[in-house]
Amino acid sequence: MRETLQVVLIYAFVLGSIYLLISLGFSIICGVLRIFHLGYAYLFTLTVYLAWMFMKELGFGLIPALLGMVVIQFVISYIIYKGIIMKFVAQEEIILTGLLLVSIVVEQAVNYRYPIQAGVFINTTLIEGSTEFGTAVISNQLLAAAAIAILLTVLFILFFLKTRIGLAIRALSQDIYSSRLIGIHVEALYTLTMFLILIPVIIGTLMVAPVWAVDPTMGSLYMTTAILVAILGGLGNIKGTIIASFLIGFTHSFVSFVLGEPRFMNFSALLLVMIILMVRPQGIAKSEALW
Amino acid sequence: MVDTEIRRDRIIIRYKGKKWDWILEPRYWRNTLIWSAFLILFPIISYFVSPILLNTVISANLYAAIAIPLALMTLGTGRMNFGPNFFIGVGGYTAALLSIAYGWGPLATFPLAVIASLVSALLFSPLVIVARGLYYVLLTLLLPLVFLEITFIYTDTFKGDVGLAGIKTLVSTGMVKLNFLIAAFISMGIMLLYLWVVNKVIKSRYGLIMAAINDGEEVAHGIGVNINKVKILAFVFASGMIGVIGWFYAHYFGTFAGITYLPLSFMIKILLVIFIGGRAQVFGCVAGGYFIAFLEMILIVTIGPIQPVLFAVILTVLLFALPEGLFGLYRKRRYREYMPTLHVRR
Repeated sequence: MRETLQVVLIYAFVLGSIYLLISLGFSIICGVLRIFHLGYAYLFTLTVYLAWMFMKELGFGLIPALLGMVVIQFVISYIIYKGIIMKFVAQEEIILTGLLLVSIVVEQAVNYRYPIQAGVFINTTLIEGSTEFGTAVISNQLLAAAAIAILLTVLFILFFLKTRIGLAIRALSQDIYSSRLIGIHVEALYTLTMFLILIPVIIGTLMVAPVWAVDPTMGSLYMTTAILVAILGGLGNIKGTIIASFLIGFTHSFVSFVLGEPRFMNFSALLLVMIILMVRPQGIAKSEALW
Repeated sequence: MVDTEIRRDRIIIRYKGKKWDWILEPRYWRNTLIWSAFLILFPIISYFVSPILLNTVISANLYAAIAIPLALMTLGTGRMNFGPNFFIGVGGYTAALLSIAYGWGPLATFPLAVIASLVSALLFSPLVIVARGLYYVLLTLLLPLVFLEITFIYTDTFKGDVGLAGIKTLVSTGMVKLNFLIAAFISMGIMLLYLWVVNKVIKSRYGLIMAAINDGEEVAHGIGVNINKVKILAFVFASGMIGVIGWFYAHYFGTFAGITYLPLSFMIKILLVIFIGGRAQVFGCVAGGYFIAFLEMILIVTIGPIQPVLFAVILTVLLFALPEGLFGLYRKRRYREYMPTLHVRR
């Protein structure tokens, strides 16, 4: 019993941290821009496949390929912000459908060029091997991913709490009109937010890519987790996102190791979200502010 | 007693204080008749010219038949459901499992497929009250994805990505071409029936109540509308209608796989039928259904394996280029009456 509990808690921590990394960007965009980035899935897919494209097609080394991928991700994010989000900000349904379509275009294009049989793999392993915690054996790469997730989240929190730009973004997340009145450059901060969310997504994807499966539809799976975390956390509240990530990590761990049914992971998380929504329709934390 | 009065432009029937008008004026019926004739003649012409088109006609009718109740659901709940394909899965799997297990034909599985869709809709109906705006969008988006996962978990029952086979077919005359033609007319019958029913509902007093909910729940509540009742009714009724299409898919193809209908790629097609057709305008759903089914078919035939990419690109461009959809182009020229449009509230 004690050993099972130990395994559950360790995996809950590791999975929760990685889910936090995956969903932080989605929550921030919910909190600041007040939209759902349903194209979020393409960010994960592009991270792996652009890097692979640079290495395979242009013969780049790993680091130059990653830098090239980052530059293109920033450019695409800017285009999406200016071309879709800014333009159709009053028509939420068009933004949602349009972003989802962008995600599908990317997924299909990647699937056309590099189908699953292409065997795409980018070696971004930081630490080889695995570590034993009692009966639990965890890949060192996942432990490193969990540590980086915690560190990155702390940095994001410090950025939002301690810097002037962070303060301005928080103000923006509370009230856009008042923010304009006090001279905050809303467009510039929105663009900055679009860029900021790329950091956890890219780092998270690169950390888990050597361990978890890589295929053209991988983004949809990660986005599903990000959506569940965002809903549970309270749509854009970072405190809520942190609690929700670990809660879903715990649920997944519990279902896998106590019930012995890892296949039910997503289903159990959805049930948890629905039950909590019944009790607290606004999620764990109120989404009126980023923090 | 029934009292019938025949006027120049209409027949009026009165019975126990109630009144029904049936407008005879040709200008009211001209466009309806022209389009109905086109829809009915098209499969017949296809039957003789190019039978492969019949399959596209059926797809078009079914896309429209999913989009029409979805438009009603959107209007009545004041929320945009991003996972209508969940109910296709429920209806389809119910029909498929019953047909395989007991050897039932389409007529026997039909009522149970509808009941299963209605019951599942009733189970998830609290969502329309509890989950507001964007929460609702995300939760409904997840429903079909989780259902898809369940079909993979219980591979023994649902046969995973291979799908269930051996379902009794919808029509079996012994002649393949004729089967397709009959199926085309059945699908068209369902679509036109949905169009008629939903159009009637939208134009009725309930339609006005739904429009009030769609425009502002608080205001609707303030004027005495039982918004929870209307929202649940609209959700459950429309879901039952969508479930019927799942039943049709299962018996039409004789196989049913969740991987075909439950992923985002299928759901996005339905949403685009609504948006490119005309933002939840019920007649626009027909235009959208035919446009998307034929565009898909033409691209498959002409450009081959890159079709999924180009198809999605074209639809993305159209989504942004036609903010009021195809029906909006028509309505701009012939604006008649107020029609509520859907929107996702934050």
